[in-house]
Amino acid sequence: MKKIKTLIITTALAVVLTNVNLAEGLKKADSFSLKDYNGKTHSLLDYKNSSAIVLIYVSTQCPVSNAYNERMADLYESYKGKNVSFIGINSNKAEDIEEIKKHAAENNLQFTVLKDINNVIADKFAASFTPEVYVLNDKQEIVYHGRIDDNRRKENVQVSDLSDALDEILAGKKVTNPKTKAFGCTIKRVGK
Amino acid sequence: MKNKLIIVLSLLFAALINAQIKIEKIDKIGLEKIINERNGKVLLLNIWATWCIPCREEFPDLVRIYREFAKDNVEVVGISIDFPEEVNQKVIPFLKKQKAGFVNYITGFKNDEELINIINKEWNGAIPATIIYSTDGKMVLFMEGKKTYKEFNEAIENQLK
Repeated sequence: MKKIKTLIITTALAVVLTNVNLAEGLKKADSFSLKDYNGKTHSLLDYKNSSAIVLIYVSTQCPVSNAYNERMADLYESYKGKNVSFIGINSNKAEDIEEIKKHAAENNLQFTVLKDINNVIADKFAASFTPEVYVLNDKQEIVYHGRIDDNRRKENVQVSDLSDALDEILAGKKVTNPKTKAFGCTIKRVGK
Repeated sequence: MKNKLIIVLSLLFAALINAQIKIEKIDKIGLEKIINERNGKVLLLNIWATWCIPCREEFPDLVRIYREFAKDNVEVVGISIDFPEEVNQKVIPFLKKQKAGFVNYITGFKNDEELINIINKEWNGAIPATIIYSTDGKMVLFMEGKKTYKEFNEAIENQLK
């Protein structure tokens, strides 16, 4: 009876410890290569010397993503001198390269925007909406996932989650809120 | 004569729908009440917005589902995540155009995350989303993205078996 009790306790402890490890473990992003709207290929490895990489799934047509164009441009401006790389990824099947190029020019999106044909990279990251953000640290581990900030209307923003996460990463700190959520447009995938 | 009668009835039906469309704010307590107080009915909950193209595209199928299952112990409820001050300008005109007879609310949650997590902690917030709750208020199906009449129909039929 005592042995069974010990076994149950040991098993329970192992389960708890495993869950703790999983919760604290950081997932390393798989490397990928995609072309930007000018046809230039970019690999995630090209950015390996960045202190942080911000991947933002964007859209040319989604009103929520478009509501963030100015904020995305401002964030890029604020952090480009701090060794932070911004990469936009467009995985929407109906938004082609010409449309992405025009949209970037019209909205002053000066960071790289890649076209994810057949949503292969969105599937790898399990990205589901625009604008959805993944931030990688210098080991290319995902240290932040979620929204840019807490309000679709710029004037109502109270918490600048992405900016806060970047500041913590640059200060060598652990990201306080590594996972946030907000409503956005579904990424329109092929075959759906 | 027959055609005139059809026109009159259609106008009456449209007027009835328009008169019924009222949008109230819903918060955490209100949503939990809807989910838990089932009174023997299956619940189809749809999260949508007027700015969301796939939401608008699937809406006619939701209206059809509501009409077909209203007598079968199925409740259809929509929650719009448009901004509350856009109700008169955007949400009600859309619902009128759709002749939506089912109850719709506008989000009155503290923030998006509160609503998302009450519904499904695994959900990142992509809309539309449709959730089926059993007659005892348990989530039995979570569907993200635009769905068809056939998918809605199958999901409900499975609960009515």
